[in-house]
Amino acid sequence: MARFLIKRIFSAVLTLFAVSVLTFLMFFALPRDPVSGMCPKNCNPERLERVRQELGLRDPLVTQYAGYMKGIFTGRDLGSAQGGRCDAPCLGWSYVNNEAVLDTITRVLPVTLSIVIPAAILWLLLGVGLGMVSALRRGTWLDRAAIGFSLTGASLQLYFVGAVLLMIFVYNLRWLPVPSYTSVFDNPVKWASGLVLSWIALAFLFSAIYARLSRAQMLETLSEDFVRTARAKGLAKPAVYGRHALRAAITPVVTIAGLDVGAALGGTVITETTFGIQGLGRTAVEAVRAGDLPTIMATVLISAVFVVLANVLVDLLYAAIDPRVRLG
Amino acid sequence: MRPRVAAAAGGAIALVVALGACSENTGEGTTVDTNRQQTGVIATDPKDSMGPAAEVAGAQKGGTFTIIRETPISHLDPQRTYSFAGLMANPLFARYLTTWKDDGKGGLVLVGDLAETPGTNVNSDCKVWEFKIKDGVKFEDGSAITAKEIAYGIARSFDPDLSGGPTYIQEWLADSPQFDTKWDFKKNKTSLPPGLTTPDDKTLRFEFAKPRCDLPFAVSLPTTAPLKADKDTGVNLDQRPFSSGPYKVAKNQAGVQLTLDRNPNWDPKTDPVRHQYPDQFVWSFGPTADAANNRVIADNGADQSALAWNYVPASLVAKVANDPALKSRSILSPTPSANQLVINTQRVTDLKIRQALNYAIDRDGLVKALGGQTVAAPMTTLMPPSTIGYKAYDAYPAGANGNVDKAKELLGGQTPELVFGAADSTTEQQMATQLKGNLERAGFKITIRNIPDDAKLDEVKKKNNPWDLYIGNWAADWPSGASILPVLYDGRTIKADGNSNQSYFNDAAINTEMDRILALPPTEQGPEWGKLDERIMKEHAPVVPLFVDVAYAVHGSKAGGIFISSVFGYPSFVNAHVKQ
Repeated sequence: MARFLIKRIFSAVLTLFAVSVLTFLMFFALPRDPVSGMCPKNCNPERLERVRQELGLRDPLVTQYAGYMKGIFTGRDLGSAQGGRCDAPCLGWSYVNNEAVLDTITRVLPVTLSIVIPAAILWLLLGVGLGMVSALRRGTWLDRAAIGFSLTGASLQLYFVGAVLLMIFVYNLRWLPVPSYTSVFDNPVKWASGLVLSWIALAFLFSAIYARLSRAQMLETLSEDFVRTARAKGLAKPAVYGRHALRAAITPVVTIAGLDVGAALGGTVITETTFGIQGLGRTAVEAVRAGDLPTIMATVLISAVFVVLANVLVDLLYAAIDPRVRLG
Repeated sequence: MRPRVAAAAGGAIALVVALGACSENTGEGTTVDTNRQQTGVIATDPKDSMGPAAEVAGAQKGGTFTIIRETPISHLDPQRTYSFAGLMANPLFARYLTTWKDDGKGGLVLVGDLAETPGTNVNSDCKVWEFKIKDGVKFEDGSAITAKEIAYGIARSFDPDLSGGPTYIQEWLADSPQFDTKWDFKKNKTSLPPGLTTPDDKTLRFEFAKPRCDLPFAVSLPTTAPLKADKDTGVNLDQRPFSSGPYKVAKNQAGVQLTLDRNPNWDPKTDPVRHQYPDQFVWSFGPTADAANNRVIADNGADQSALAWNYVPASLVAKVANDPALKSRSILSPTPSANQLVINTQRVTDLKIRQALNYAIDRDGLVKALGGQTVAAPMTTLMPPSTIGYKAYDAYPAGANGNVDKAKELLGGQTPELVFGAADSTTEQQMATQLKGNLERAGFKITIRNIPDDAKLDEVKKKNNPWDLYIGNWAADWPSGASILPVLYDGRTIKADGNSNQSYFNDAAINTEMDRILALPPTEQGPEWGKLDERIMKEHAPVVPLFVDVAYAVHGSKAGGIFISSVFGYPSFVNAHVKQ
C-alpha cells in the first residue's frame, strides 16, 4: 500500500511538472502581448518596453519558469507593480484582474466545487440507481423508461438543457432566483437555490452514461457464478444485489466517475456560462482570451491536480470496493 | 483621446467622443433623436458649480440599484480608470476637479466638482491654471479634501505601476510623452510633479510649458480624483478605492460583485451633479449580454431595479423594439463614438476621387446592414453632433442612399482601383462588403484585404500602410473640437508609427487654422471648430463620415433616472433611483 502510494504520488508530480512546462511554453507561443492589455490606450513603445522588463518578460524562459515555481513553494517578491511580496503558495499577479492570482482562485474554486460536488452526487445516485433498476427489472417498461430517460439526457447539450430549465423555473414559473453563488457557510438555502438548476442540468446529462454502464455491468455480474452461489446458499435478495453484485459491478463506474469529477472540477465552463456563474472554468477561458499567463497557469495546474488526485483516489477506492483488487 | 476598438475582455480599448443627442427614457417610446445637438458650455458663474443638484422628478430615496454586466470593470482605482464602465462607475465614489452637468438631452455644462469653478486661466495664455477647492468636501472617513490630496492623486498617476488611465495631465506637466521618466513618483512621494503646486490648502496650480487650453476638460477625467497619501495602497487600491463621492465600497468580490453603500460624509450641498437616491448600488458581473438582457426584460424581483449594461443584443432587438411594455423601459440614444471610412490621402491623392467616394456611399443601407437604428445613426460631419460648437452640414449631399450619378460624373469615366483594408471581425467584414457594393455601383474597383482584428489598429497607424481605405473610429475624452480635429487631421503630427491621423492628411492652411483656434480662449473655440470641420470636408474630403454608434439599453420597471452620458455614450448613474 505504501509503495503503491509513493509510486502514484511520484507519477502525479511528474504529470504536474509536465503540465506546467507545457502550459508555460504554449503561452509564449500565443500571438499575444500581455503588456498591451495592461496599458491599452495611450502607451508608447518605450513605456511598453519598460513594463515588459519590469514584469520580467524579457528574461529567459527558464528563469521565468523557475521564478514562478519558486513562488509556489517559497513565495517571492513580485515588485510594486504586482502587489509586492507574494507569500507561498504564490501563483503570481494577474495584470488583467489586477489582483493576486491566489485571491482569484480562492474566490472561484469554491464556486466550482459547489457546482460539481453536489451535481456529481446527484448524477451518481441517479445514474447508478436507474442502472440498477433497469438491470433488475430487465425488459420491463421500467427498464425501457429508465434507459430512454438516460438516453435523452445523453443526447442533449448542457447549454440547451440549462436554457430550458432557466426559462421554465426562473423566468416563467419564477420558483427559483436567477442562478448565483452564495457561500454555503453564509446561507445554505440561498446557496442551494442559486445552484440547484446547474446540479439538475449536469446530473441529467451525466447520469446517462452511468445508467447504461451500471446496467450493463450489473447484468454481467448477475450472471456470474458467485452471484448464483450466493443466491443458491439462500441469501436474501437485497444482500445478493447490494453486498455482492453491486460491489463488483460498480468498479468501472468508479473509474469513470473519478475522471468525470476531476475533469468537471477543472472546467465547468459551459455550465458556468449557461448559468452566468463565475467559477474556475470561466476564469480559465477568460484568462486565455486575455493572455493572462499567471491565471492560465494557475487554472491549468489546479485542473491537473484535480484530475491526478481523482485518479489516485479511484485506485484507492478499487481496493476498498472490490476484494479482488490488491494494491502493491 | 483614443481610437475605439470593440470592448473586449481584459481591459480592451475603448474610445469615446461626445455624443449627439441623448434621449432620456420618458416612457413615450424610443426613437433616436438626431436633431438634438450639443449645447455645451463652460460654467463661469461659481453658482453653477454649487450643489445640491436639482432633484430628479419622481425620484425617491431607498432601494438597491443593480447594474448587470458581463465582464468586470478593469480598474476601480480612479487614476487607472479609462474603460467606459470604469468612467461611468467612478463618479459614484470619486469626485474630480471638474465634471459635466449633463441633462441627457445634449445639454452639457462643464462645472467645478471639487473646484469652485472650472478653473482660472491666470494669464489668459492657457499656461497657468488655478483651481480653488470648495469648502466642506470630505473623504469617506470625514477628513477634509484639500488641494494637497488632489495633487497627490495626480502625482500617483505618474507611477508606471499604476498604468491604464488617461495621460493628458501627466504629459502636459512633464511636457513629454515619457512623463514617468521625467518625474519618478516612487522616489518623490512627498513632493509634486513639475508644474503642479498647492500654494495653500484651497488652491491647486498648474504651470505648463505650452498653452493647454483644454485643461478644464482634461481635469474632468478621474486622474484628478483626490487621495490621502496614507490611504494609498498602490496596485491594491483597485480592489478598494477610497471614496470622495456619494457612495463608498462596502464589499468588493472582484470579478463577481461590487457593492456600494451610501457615504454619509458626502455633502450634497457641495456637489452640482450627483445624487444619493438608492441605499445601495450593486454591480453584478458574469451574465452574458443575452442573459442580462433576458433577466431585465423578465423584470423579476431585484431585476426590476436593474440595468443591463451590455446593450440589447441583436437576438433581442426585435423583441424589445416591438413590445410596447418594453419600449418604456428602453433607452435608445446616439453616442459620441463616430465611425468613418478613412481615405489614405497619401495614396488617394486626387480630391475628385475622394469626393466621389463621399457621394457614392449609401449610409442608409450601411445602417440597415449593421442592424438598423438601434445600432447606428448616419452622420455627415467629422465631429459628432454632441461636440461643443458642432455645425450640421453635408458637404456632399447625396440623399440617404448615395448619389451614383454624381460620383460617376466626378470620376469622369475613370474606374479607380482601391484596396480596402478590413479587420477580420464580423462587423468590419459586414461593413466592408456593404461599402464595396456601394462604391462599385459608382465605378470604383474595390479589393478587400483582410487584416487580423487585433492587429488592424496598429497596422493602419503605420504611415506607409498598404491600404487606400479602412474603417476608422474615434471618440474623444471630452466633447471639444480640440480633442478631435487636431488629433485626427493635423499633418504635422504624422510619424512613422502610432498615428491617430490615419488619413495622413496634411495641409498647411488647415494646420495654421488649427493653431489659431487652439490659441483662442476655450469658451470661444466651439463655433470655430464647427466651421473648420466643414472646411476640411469641403476642401479636402480626407474621410467619408459614416455613422455614430447608438446605445440601446433596457432596464427594469423600477429603475429610474438612467440616461446615456453625452460625454461618453454610456449609461450615467448620477440620477439613478429606485421607484418605490
